[in-house]
Amino acid sequence: MNDEAKSNCPTGTGGEPSATQSTVPMWIFIVTLLLLFVGAVYFDHHSGWFNAKVYSPYVSAEQLELYQPKSGAAAAAAQGKKVYETVCGICHGVDGMGKPNQAPPLAGSEWVTGGFHRLAQIPLNGLNGSLQVEGKDWNLNMAPMGANLSDADLAAVLTYIRTSWGNKAGAVSADDVKAVRAVVAGHPAISAAQLKDLPE
Amino acid sequence: MKNGFSVFLAVFIALGLSWCGFVLGSVKQLGTAKQAAVLNSSDTYPLQRTGNATLGSQVYRANGCAACHTEQVRQDGVVCDVVLTAAGKKPTVVSNLVSTLKLTGLTREEADAVSDKIAAAGGSVETHIVASGADIARGWGIRRSVAADYLYDHPVQLGSLRAGPDLANVGARFPDLNWQLVHLYAPQAVVKNSAMPPFRFLFEVRKINLGGASSPDALQFPKDFAPPAGCEVVPSPEAKQLAAYLLSLKADAPLYEAPFTPVMTKP
Repeated sequence: MNDEAKSNCPTGTGGEPSATQSTVPMWIFIVTLLLLFVGAVYFDHHSGWFNAKVYSPYVSAEQLELYQPKSGAAAAAAQGKKVYETVCGICHGVDGMGKPNQAPPLAGSEWVTGGFHRLAQIPLNGLNGSLQVEGKDWNLNMAPMGANLSDADLAAVLTYIRTSWGNKAGAVSADDVKAVRAVVAGHPAISAAQLKDLPE
Repeated sequence: MKNGFSVFLAVFIALGLSWCGFVLGSVKQLGTAKQAAVLNSSDTYPLQRTGNATLGSQVYRANGCAACHTEQVRQDGVVCDVVLTAAGKKPTVVSNLVSTLKLTGLTREEADAVSDKIAAAGGSVETHIVASGADIARGWGIRRSVAADYLYDHPVQLGSLRAGPDLANVGARFPDLNWQLVHLYAPQAVVKNSAMPPFRFLFEVRKINLGGASSPDALQFPKDFAPPAGCEVVPSPEAKQLAAYLLSLKADAPLYEAPFTPVMTKP
């Protein structure tokens, strides 16, 4: 039996090995404290504080918030779709095809793709009476569904219906809506006959 | 044993604390998770799977697909790209300005500064949020996988080995049902040099009835892999379920916790 093997054998006679007391070297304390400090700093920078929404590569809720998509035509279009589906889509259909005895179609409608001045008056003021849409006659009443929407939301909705389902008309800005709103404020619902006479 | 009670207490506390951290904490954070809102949309994500796709996840499990495929996309970083949408009234001024600026691979602060500069010159811009990373560069996803992706998975089959590619987004990458079925029957027919074993026991090769039309479910093969004349390959219910499950794997919605700007790509 060589020396190394011998040193692995329990010393003494058949008993369990026993430990003696001796002081822990100071450098172990220092290294442990340093590692603890580095770990705490790393944790502070990268944990996101256990927020269920924060995944790497984001390191904090603030940074995640910073990288949310905002502004731009894409965001406006998305907002327009959202408002359309909650406010307008119930009657006009989420596909813009309208519903019999509820609302005429918006897809391909000459009233939608025409000028925005006339179009914006319909949600702002409501509409009643007989109206020709794509060659079919619709005689229904519409409440001023857009009167309570903000300028930006109504502009987003108008832009959405003017650019969706194959419609290819220009965008409407919040300022455009504001101008139309100022003109029509307080007017009673217009009839289809009056609408035809309005400038586009 | 000396100090038996202390040892028991120490072990109990250590295991109890880790149980609290791993199990209780996770359940408290995500146990009541519901469908999340898709960014800038009225849609919610993820959609409940169809019955066939739900059954298909068990076929996926039974055939050990998770042994070679993962369902998790990693993301290393996020950048902002500034995109000019309209040049405004002074197009030459704007285009000259744009040509001097760095527009891609920016941080949010840099992107905002660039946007302000271009807006001051009269142009209008959009900032696109783009996720980046090795998996995303491979085309395996648009963003990282997050907990919401697995809301309807029982069990969650994350996988840990990638002998084959990641499948977190396979329904969006290969939306064709026939492609998925042919790939299960003969992987090399659609992916040259694929190392995947064929799962032919999920299919039936049978003679087309004399004078009858072939089954509407029959697989459409590329030329070299077609079955002999007068025969057709039809998927079993399990194969259809598995394909339905694979088609349901679509982690392509922008979420609050994994934002990106969807860019319309050609189909």
